Amino acid sequence: MLHDLFFRLRTLFRSPTAESELDDELRFYLERQIAKYVKSGMSEAEATRRARLEFGGVDQVKDQCRDARGISFVETLVQDARYAARTLLRSPAFTACAVLTLALGIGANTAIFSVVNSVLLNPLPYPDPQALLAARPNDSPPDLKDLQRQTSSFDSGGGVNIEPMDFTGNGEPMRIHGAFVDAGLLQTLGVQPMLGRWISDDEDVKGGPRNVLVSYPFWREVLGSDVHILGKAIRLSGNSYTVIGVMPGDFNLPKEPADVFVSLSVAYPEAAPERGVHFLHTYWRLKPGVTLTQAQAEIAQVDGRLSEQFPDTEKGRRTILLPLHDWLVGNIRPALLILFGAVGLVLLIACANFAMLLMARAVARQRELMIRASLGAKNSRLIRQQLTESTLLALVGGAVGLLVAKLGTMFLLALKPAPLHRFHSIPIDARVFAFVFAISLLTGLLFGLLPAWSASRSDIAEALRANQRATGPSRSLLRSVLITAEVALALILLAGAGLLIKGFLRLLSVNPGFNPANVMTMYLQLPATRYAQFQSQTNFRRELLARINALPGVEAAMITDIPLAGNYVGHRIVIDGRPTPAAGTEPQVQVLSIMGDYFRVMQIPIRAGRDFLPTEREGQPLVAVVNEAFVREHLPGQNPIGSRIDWIRTPDPHQWMTIVGVVADVKHSGLNQPVDPAVYSPFSQNDEAWRRWMTLVIKTRAPIAGLVEDVKKQVWNMDSQIPVSDIQSMDDLLAVSVAQERFNVLLLGIFAALAVALAGVGIYGMMAYRVNLRTHEIGVYIALGAQHRDVLRLVMKDGAKLALLGIALGLAGAIALTRVMVSLLFEVEPTDPPTLIGVALLLAAVALLACYLPARRALSIHPMTALRCE
Amino acid sequence: MPSRSIDLPQGTLDLLILRTLSLEPLHGWAVSERIQQISSDVLRVQQGSLYPALHRLERRGWIKARWGASENNRKAKFYELTKAGHRQLELERDAWEKLTAAVSQILGTA
Repeated sequence: MLHDLFFRLRTLFRSPTAESELDDELRFYLERQIAKYVKSGMSEAEATRRARLEFGGVDQVKDQCRDARGISFVETLVQDARYAARTLLRSPAFTACAVLTLALGIGANTAIFSVVNSVLLNPLPYPDPQALLAARPNDSPPDLKDLQRQTSSFDSGGGVNIEPMDFTGNGEPMRIHGAFVDAGLLQTLGVQPMLGRWISDDEDVKGGPRNVLVSYPFWREVLGSDVHILGKAIRLSGNSYTVIGVMPGDFNLPKEPADVFVSLSVAYPEAAPERGVHFLHTYWRLKPGVTLTQAQAEIAQVDGRLSEQFPDTEKGRRTILLPLHDWLVGNIRPALLILFGAVGLVLLIACANFAMLLMARAVARQRELMIRASLGAKNSRLIRQQLTESTLLALVGGAVGLLVAKLGTMFLLALKPAPLHRFHSIPIDARVFAFVFAISLLTGLLFGLLPAWSASRSDIAEALRANQRATGPSRSLLRSVLITAEVALALILLAGAGLLIKGFLRLLSVNPGFNPANVMTMYLQLPATRYAQFQSQTNFRRELLARINALPGVEAAMITDIPLAGNYVGHRIVIDGRPTPAAGTEPQVQVLSIMGDYFRVMQIPIRAGRDFLPTEREGQPLVAVVNEAFVREHLPGQNPIGSRIDWIRTPDPHQWMTIVGVVADVKHSGLNQPVDPAVYSPFSQNDEAWRRWMTLVIKTRAPIAGLVEDVKKQVWNMDSQIPVSDIQSMDDLLAVSVAQERFNVLLLGIFAALAVALAGVGIYGMMAYRVNLRTHEIGVYIALGAQHRDVLRLVMKDGAKLALLGIALGLAGAIALTRVMVSLLFEVEPTDPPTLIGVALLLAAVALLACYLPARRALSIHPMTALRCE
Repeated sequence: MPSRSIDLPQGTLDLLILRTLSLEPLHGWAVSERIQQISSDVLRVQQGSLYPALHRLERRGWIKARWGASENNRKAKFYELTKAGHRQLELERDAWEKLTAAVSQILGTA
């Protein structure tokens, strides 16, 4: 058997040699035979004639030799493929239909697969990525140092925090992303700089040299690809830094992009020693041979020691280690897998249509097949020929599908869903190619086999008798099964899409708690060099607001951390008159420092008490406004107005803030997120000099074209070195906050629409085919006086029955399958009856329409024509 | 002369080729000559069936081919028996002997 295979393979690869050898061999025989006859006294010519005659047809012998050698397999394949290509080109409409159907199915699958490939399958771009871990929650620099010193499970560990920095010196000041890192980070990620070197341990100390590494894009676009950049100085946030390295082009931090990398201890010495400020993302690299469980146990021990040692800030700390890849893709995995499953169903439907197309074609070609069969072609040979044809179609469909996939991935990237932020492009790599090839081949073979097999089973004699109209019972059964399955699959997809859409509409109808209309936001940060004192920051803010309020068209301007932008500051509080809880267990609330008319600008209703007064500023009695969630959780059944609260970090005696008002809840963290208790306090009363950032919020009476430029001018009139960034309207922020949900809805919606369209086309095709077959019967029926209604009923009965059966099966399937979607649904049960009933009705309507169109054609059949077409 | 020769019964050609080649490696023409010669011109191998048979036997791994120089110093393809071929020859010879014994027994008694 093996020998046989080897021999066949050799003849395949060495075909030209084998052919010439055969020629040589036969020629040799002939020559010897001639020589023999000449020796026995014949003339040369006579001998040649005799030998040739005896030998018979040289080509025939050669053919038989080839058969014997087994070369026929490849030759047959080539021959069949050629034949298939010719016949397919002769019926371009059929070919186009089949290729297009498959291209849509395969293309959609390939697009989603390439996303799955990029996001889930491809390893992270770091050496030995399996050993990389992410630690949750964030940590503080001193704690990170302790963990590094007191553990032995790790090769290294490091932390990073991304903060905006101002790059000045190239015209307009630029807001860039600064990565504040510790020296362990790059070692942990394991990526060497393209130029220069990383920050060393002894430089990573308070007062160390101001060194900076830059990212490749920053080096190329901002620094002009200067190859002599090392040792030169650039200005960042008011300080001069020496460039010591350039990172390679494909380097990215795991989570966010960064333009420059600076030592945290050097660039941010105020924050570095604070144990209580947990802001670093930390990453760890396991030592070879150490398991995650061992490392987790060791970290837990250190956590325990730290919380005993520093109960004020570290009580109850619990660091959790996760494989880095899981941490990065954990949120997107369920959505992607569901989309992948959904698009797989689309392919199945496309394949069912493909199979039915092939069956219809087999019927149309029955005469040809019959002739070939009666000329002695074996059944297996005919099936093989048809398989070659379907596989050829599928491969062409796959090739066109690649094109569809390329367009598809560009479309997906344009949607900018959060999980694809890491990617500038989604490559179609070897794995994607293998995927396309495999599913095309499988489609062609599997779904070509069904019709080929059923065609080969039809009885030739019967087919002849029936004047080439044989549709054996097996074939019509197969067709019915395909149609039913198609409708059922389409219903499952439609149900999934319907549930997602319903959830999405629910999400959009959530009241965010504020009015986003005509609100523009932008972000600025005061450089520490010139605004170190809190009072100078307050003066800047106050002056800026005054200038912006004076701009024409501006209704009101204010400063705060806006909702949905990802800013969140939390503090623990104590309530006056309550026993102080144990350290570390005080309730945590969200803190929003505001300056200006926040509640008026955002139209947040005041439920009790009053807004802040303009006079409530530094030096005046401390006041606070809380939201309803705060009252519900911390002051239930009490009159909140007049109650007093304080941050726990204020040393005794307490500086109590008096609650003067209660406002309605705002969805700060996202429309589908719960509202945390929140405390609003005047910016000028909240002496936290490290909070140098601010978001400007400007309400206008109508959209104003030049507003952003006017505001920038006002900022730069006050300080030309402050960049203005993240300029976006509140409406945009709302839209971005539901981008992931919109991505899911849009994709699943597209797939469901595709599925319904394909199923509709499938039903239509089957019905049209049946009407065609029954032209004669219908003609007689009409001739006998049947009414339109009767004809319609006769024709539509079959299709409608199959569609209803499919819908029923689909409903059962949907109820079983939509459960996997729970995590994607917002306030919708996966078996939501109105949705399921709705999609069933929709699909039924489509199916009936698809039945009705061919049936209407049946009505127009003229009895005479029908009889004549016999 | 042709009147004296008889057609080969189905399936015996392989046996004859294997037997012929078991003596020494030969090229195709010599195989047919040898069969004719040993059978005293009774058996004649149709060239049209000789070569397909040789190729079939080669594919089965019973004989193998190599190019060599012929008696008159021409390039020719020589076939020789493999180990598997020897085994096959024994098998077929047994089967043949059983068959002929049985056939002649029937012919003798009837």
